[in-house]
Amino acid sequence: MPPVPSNRRMLLGLVLALSGCATVAPQQRAILADPTMRFDAEGKHEAPLRHAIDNREGSMGGTGVSGGGCGCN
Amino acid sequence: MQLGIGRALAAALALLVVLPWSSGATAQVAEIDTAHSVFYEAPTRTHMFVYSPSADFQVSPWPWLDVRGGWEADVVSGASVATKAGAAYQATHPAADVVTTASVHDFRNLGRGEVAFKGETTSLTGGYAYSTEHDYQSSSMHVNSRTDVLQHNTQLELSYAHNFDSICDRVQSSGDTSPTRWFALENSTGCFTADPTRTTHAIGIDTYEASWGQSWTPVFETQLTYTGQLVNGFQSDPYRSVVLGEGIKAQEYEPTERAREALTARLAWYLRSIKAAVRLSLRGYYDTWAIESGTVEAEFEKWLGESLRIMARGRGYKQTGAVFWSDDYTGGLPPLGPRGQYWTGDRELSPFWSWLAGGRLVWTVTPARGRILGIMESFKLAGSASVTGYTYEQYTLGGTPISNARAYIGTASLVAVF
Repeated sequence: MPPVPSNRRMLLGLVLALSGCATVAPQQRAILADPTMRFDAEGKHEAPLRHAIDNREGSMGGTGVSGGGCGCN
Repeated sequence: MQLGIGRALAAALALLVVLPWSSGATAQVAEIDTAHSVFYEAPTRTHMFVYSPSADFQVSPWPWLDVRGGWEADVVSGASVATKAGAAYQATHPAADVVTTASVHDFRNLGRGEVAFKGETTSLTGGYAYSTEHDYQSSSMHVNSRTDVLQHNTQLELSYAHNFDSICDRVQSSGDTSPTRWFALENSTGCFTADPTRTTHAIGIDTYEASWGQSWTPVFETQLTYTGQLVNGFQSDPYRSVVLGEGIKAQEYEPTERAREALTARLAWYLRSIKAAVRLSLRGYYDTWAIESGTVEAEFEKWLGESLRIMARGRGYKQTGAVFWSDDYTGGLPPLGPRGQYWTGDRELSPFWSWLAGGRLVWTVTPARGRILGIMESFKLAGSASVTGYTYEQYTLGGTPISNARAYIGTASLVAVF
């Protein structure tokens, strides 16, 4: 197995360290579970808008990987 | 081969539908949703109109299994720029037909299926989608794994997708080895048939995504997502010609390889004082065609009563142009003129910025007792509308600048849970 570059190890360590600092107890998660706090609560509803935007910009990313055609005339 | 894929897809979808209802399986939850969207681009002579219906279902025969299937379509009509030239050429050829608008009518159909295996803190999802248009076909497979750790405060997700796509093109004359002599595709007639004047090019797309979500406090969470994509194959618009010089126009010619990267940071913060959530998203993007972009998006969402949610959204986007982008390859003062061995008339590869404003209403009904109409556990009705404006810094239509080109998008959707 090739050695993991030191900067990636540092990033992984940072993620784990920062994650360990978070202490939201299960009984405190009511607001976090609310649809207004979810990034993709209406993902299917928003999909046509994302599709239209993606086809008119030179960029992509951050909204999932599932593909399926062009529809980009 | 196409028939084989179609049959395999039909069989897979039929299996997905039938399997959960077979003996021994007890459907605990079934969900059906449908969405209908319209897109209209008013200016730039295109008058592009797209109607996109979709229908999806999900059944959960056991707590550890979700089975999903769906269909969506794009019905496209309008026009697109068939021949691209800019200010320098138009200045000396005022009567030249440098910005003809080709009529576009297309119908994209997509079928998809997905299976998700769920544990208490983990899930593994795999899916397949097949879509077809007059001039484009796509087979796409994706897998996704997700795990929650540290009492669900940390969510880690890995995803991968591969597309096996193909695009129609005209057969060029065997003697024309130089792309400067290639002609654009006239129309999609004969595509994906044995027509000797038509051929297809393969496009392979690999997409990777890794995401880290973190709940920091009872009202604050973040998400960091890295997306990488490798595109290999024909990426030009086969219908588009670019004027390269005096009396010379050639089919658009873009590099066949493109590596793309994006890093997206999101946060959601619930403001107790006004009982509303603010979501903010920042994205940076770079690719090997030298396009760099930044996106900022803000959403504000609030419950009005117990069943109605209202959301307002604003978005800003700015990108640089591809290294080979020019508005006019025939010459002129910078930034016009030839840019190496490639040429394009694609406005999406030009430098521009855009804005978007919109809103969404979601009405959810979940009765405390009983079922709606005796069958539905809950239903959700949503509607949204957005307007977006594009200002192109260099892209012109025969030398005519385009600023604040508007497009309008509206979506309505219904979700019923049984």
